[in-house]
Amino acid sequence: MENNPKCLTRRDFIRGTVGATLAVSVMGVPWTDTVAAVDRPSLVSVVRDKNVMDAGFRVDAEILKTMLDQTVLQLTGKSNIQEAWTELIKPDDIVGLVPTPHLNPTHPELVDAVKISLMEAVGISEKNIIMAQGGKSKPKPCTALICMPALKGHWLTGIGTVIKNYIMYSGRPYDYHQEDSAKLGEIWLIPEVKGKTRLVLVDAIHPLCDKGPQPDPRYKWPYNGLLAGTDPVAVETVCLKILTEKRNALRGEPWPISPPPICVEAADKAYGLGTSKIEQIKIAHFGWKEDLLLS
Amino acid sequence: MTSLSAKTALFLAFFITLVFLLGGIRAEMLEKIVDLPKSIGVWTRPDSARIIDSSNIFQYMNGAGELYLSYNFDHLKVYEYTTKNQQDSILVEVYIMNTSNDAFGLFSIDWGGEPIEIHSSPSMRSSPTVAPPARALYGGGLLRLWADTIYARVMVYPDTPESKEAVLSLGRKIAANRKMPTEPELLKFLPQTIGSNWKLRKDRIGYFRSHLVLNSLYYLSHQNILNLDHSTEALTAPYENISNAGSAKSVQLLFIKYASAKKAKKALDQFHSAYLHEHQHGRDPRVIENQMNFFNIEDGWLGYSLNGTYLSVVFECPDRASAQTIINHISRNAVFKENDHGK
Repeated sequence: MENNPKCLTRRDFIRGTVGATLAVSVMGVPWTDTVAAVDRPSLVSVVRDKNVMDAGFRVDAEILKTMLDQTVLQLTGKSNIQEAWTELIKPDDIVGLVPTPHLNPTHPELVDAVKISLMEAVGISEKNIIMAQGGKSKPKPCTALICMPALKGHWLTGIGTVIKNYIMYSGRPYDYHQEDSAKLGEIWLIPEVKGKTRLVLVDAIHPLCDKGPQPDPRYKWPYNGLLAGTDPVAVETVCLKILTEKRNALRGEPWPISPPPICVEAADKAYGLGTSKIEQIKIAHFGWKEDLLLS
Repeated sequence: MTSLSAKTALFLAFFITLVFLLGGIRAEMLEKIVDLPKSIGVWTRPDSARIIDSSNIFQYMNGAGELYLSYNFDHLKVYEYTTKNQQDSILVEVYIMNTSNDAFGLFSIDWGGEPIEIHSSPSMRSSPTVAPPARALYGGGLLRLWADTIYARVMVYPDTPESKEAVLSLGRKIAANRKMPTEPELLKFLPQTIGSNWKLRKDRIGYFRSHLVLNSLYYLSHQNILNLDHSTEALTAPYENISNAGSAKSVQLLFIKYASAKKAKKALDQFHSAYLHEHQHGRDPRVIENQMNFFNIEDGWLGYSLNGTYLSVVFECPDRASAQTIINHISRNAVFKENDHGK
């Protein structure tokens, strides 16, 4: 602390100087616009079905599979499901599925639905579909990754959904909390991971809008949706918007995510993983409209 | 010299014995804490609890362990009740903290939920409080409670009238025959109202010892710019504007007690340097006692005051006069306490 001439504070967020401060205090390099993509219209698909989960929080696998199909069709712009999936994944790929195991775990029904799609629509054999969440060795044999977190906040990083989902690949997860959560984006650039993520698919069926650190059912709600895209930062940005809107609605007053999720802006500006500017994101919605939280 | 050494040795022996004795009593008190039934309704638990301490808390709950370690945590007992078909469960987590203040701190992080009476005897209830009087809160299948040095979470899935009753029953067992200490002394510094404009948001009071918890309640900096640690006690307490003229926006009061005046002074210097670095000329470093300063920054007026071991900071005030009124009020309490303590 005393050796650090400038640390990130609340005032940086108010002044809009987060990027510059992060560059100096966290990355130790000048902020570089050359890394950031300048004009990247990113598509994020939001598909919802009111009936995908019942009052007892049981997921209807059939409805979920239909939602998944709609998601890939919408995302790729293709007219049939085989074409849509093969736009994202090739038949000779070894595919790593990366769900989230903790706090608000990814529904196993979603993992199953993706597996079935990969086998039926792309023709990938079951042995070439790997459960790839875990340590550094997990993504190594994969030629493609599908990032499949569930939507949730996190008490040390603000949001714990897309960018944080690869934290175990670093081999040192505790190095990426608090201010160092800004560096979560660098994990997406390690050789075992870089360029492999073909699809970011967020389980937003039953999200957790508070940060924990342990589950509190009062802050879970049936959003009954799937969010997807190929730009991880854009998907995370839309996730952030939904969480923020839900928190404000719950309390009836501003209830900002705290600590602020600095990994999102850093993933854009420092690591060039995608766009964190909501105005540069095209949101394609399909299905249930009530409480969409994206106005 | 020899006589002095003998006296010193005797004193040391007495002191060590006392420490062991008190440690033993404390450990005994902690250990006789939980006596939960083997079965409740259709749920049954294993014979023994899982014991979690600081050495394995991260294996149990990943990064969430930081929360408990940021308070004075002793250990955690975990019981899982399941139904015969293993489909429904009740998770009971009993956190044994070293002080009741620490248990209160964990409870104070979130005052939401339905207040539940868990102490059957009126004599067990404590005196009037600054924070909400609830000692147990329920919502969505989760019961959180504070009873003496215990903070507990009892969570059931799914949340039904039957399962809720089982959860509340377990909560009452955990709290049974336990003392109901008063909330931390530090809360007494918080006036219910300040002037005619400002009213305390009781339901947003948070008690903590770590910048990690501070940041989850009111973000200030990812770094520990106020030098918070286990020896400090801190409060966040918003005050809302109740005057007709003013905006409804709340101001945020941060009130901290350090272990010594020296530590408090050092913390203020660090805070000023990190948070108000462009305002170095606005303060007089020669002034040690009762430093009081006010600055107009991006989100409103910020004021602070240092009174011995107590540091008060108010954020987001609409004008200088509001910041002064609030800081003056809190400072008066702190000065009085410091003087009282000095007598």
